[in-house]
Amino acid sequence: MSRSQGLSVVRACILTILGIIVLFPIYWMFVLALSPLGFSRSVGGFLPIEWTFDNFVFLFVDRPMGRWMLNSVIVALATSFLSLVLSTSAGYALSRLKFPGNRVLLLAVLMTQMLPSTAIVVPMYAMLRDLGLLDSLPGITLAHMTLVIPLAIWMIRGFFDGIPLELEKAARIDGCSRLSAFWHISLPLAAPGLTAIFIYGFVTSWHEFLFARTFASPQELWTAAVGLASFKGEYFSLFEPQMAAAAVFALPVIVVFIVLQRQFVAGGLAGGVK
Amino acid sequence: MQGSSRRVWNSLSDGPSFPYLMVLPAIAVLGLIVAWPLLNALWLSLHDVILTRPNRPSRFGLHNYQRMLTDKDVWAAVWKSIIYMTGTVVGSMVVGTIAALLTRGVFFGRSLARLVFILPWTIPAVAAALIWGVMYDVNFGVLNRLLGLVAPGAGNVEWLLSRTTAMPSLIAIQVWNEFPIAYIFLLAGLQTIDQDLYKAARIDGATPFQQFLHITVPQMRYVAAVTAILLSIFSFKSFTIIYVLTGGGPSGRTETLIIQTYIEAFRTYNFSYSATLSILSVVLSLVLVAVYIRLAVRPETADGDAH
Repeated sequence: MSRSQGLSVVRACILTILGIIVLFPIYWMFVLALSPLGFSRSVGGFLPIEWTFDNFVFLFVDRPMGRWMLNSVIVALATSFLSLVLSTSAGYALSRLKFPGNRVLLLAVLMTQMLPSTAIVVPMYAMLRDLGLLDSLPGITLAHMTLVIPLAIWMIRGFFDGIPLELEKAARIDGCSRLSAFWHISLPLAAPGLTAIFIYGFVTSWHEFLFARTFASPQELWTAAVGLASFKGEYFSLFEPQMAAAAVFALPVIVVFIVLQRQFVAGGLAGGVK
Repeated sequence: MQGSSRRVWNSLSDGPSFPYLMVLPAIAVLGLIVAWPLLNALWLSLHDVILTRPNRPSRFGLHNYQRMLTDKDVWAAVWKSIIYMTGTVVGSMVVGTIAALLTRGVFFGRSLARLVFILPWTIPAVAAALIWGVMYDVNFGVLNRLLGLVAPGAGNVEWLLSRTTAMPSLIAIQVWNEFPIAYIFLLAGLQTIDQDLYKAARIDGATPFQQFLHITVPQMRYVAAVTAILLSIFSFKSFTIIYVLTGGGPSGRTETLIIQTYIEAFRTYNFSYSATLSILSVVLSLVLVAVYIRLAVRPETADGDAH
């Protein structure tokens, strides 16, 4: 008994130390974000001394952080919604309707997910230019969809695999068409999973940097990720506003994660394609 | 009127082409924005498209590939990719395993502990880069201040600026940002292990370490392999943290193949040579993907065989 108690004390110690190390960067970001300019240069401790919101005021008044956040919200909502619609349709077909080419298609889709984005960024740039979508939010949205759709198809296919076919069959016997059986029976049952996909799509687009940076050069079209990265060069010595920007950018995702932990983790797990 | 449109829908949805119609929109988008550019990259790599020299006559052939094969910088970049990948995968697996083993059982504060270990994953790569960039600052960074407390007189480490520490410093950020993926997978894997195995082992007098070695390790081999290969694929592709913090520097020490491909395109505007490098990166990542598919995406009937 004493041995297992000793073990749990050891475990608690290691857990605490590891937890502090893991949390420290996030803690430090918030401390600097809420401290007056120059705090990181003058203070020797690890605790905040004086609170201020000046850094946030600076971001939203002197810099177009609000505009960038709005761009990110628009692109992320559009990416997530469009990907969800297209992937639900494709995922359903790949789950329910066995047709020639089914498996090849699934593997091809998986591969697009795994390719390095940098490999296609140059021809994609040329293509968006030809389509007149360069330097536009729809262009970024289209690019972001390619990051969401493949995994979404795999996950949604899995959800439909988990819904008993008998339910649809029963509806079909009662005179439902295939389409209305899908719409009225399977879709509502898959809804919780689809919520997870929506979150996954939103977060993926919100985080994305390479495409957003390459396909939109005017400052007013930057997403928050691109705007945030620009602080690195521009204000390299002003740590506090930099951290305020990072906090503003990261906070929505942290909040969504804490509120919807279960869906968040489910999305991450499905990313491994069971 | 309504009846006839319903009939059209019904006959359509029961026809043999219906699955294809449902798949088509998604595939069209992926085809347009992924497959077509990929073919385009292949075409570019076989020609000479240099934006700064538009009048240069273009040749068709493998000359870009010839140049690549003898280009020392490219192979140095591949090597750096391998180091970066190995470092982040090993680091993430180790931290993820420790965290998963510590939080697998039932104890007070378990859900809080799990929350903490997943939290870094929610921090966007750009934000992670900025946070660590500030912490790594040579003169005012908090890490050098901590180091001063632990080892006074060690002096200031030039984390991201020195040729020896830049790569490990970047790897540390990536591990911090991505170990939660390993953590989630390994924790889920641990929970599928039959608890009776441990009970039986305890009755036989096995120590916790023996239990770990003879039950946990063999039972987790498959999940761990899938997780590691998945992390390798992610980490081979990583762009943001390196690009934002060092851009491949100092003096090319963190210039992985992915970074080099991008730099080649948008700094030298030699699109053809950059496309050649992208084809190389695609081929290399396909090797990883092939391993992953063999491991993780088996036909349904073969499920469980690998355990």
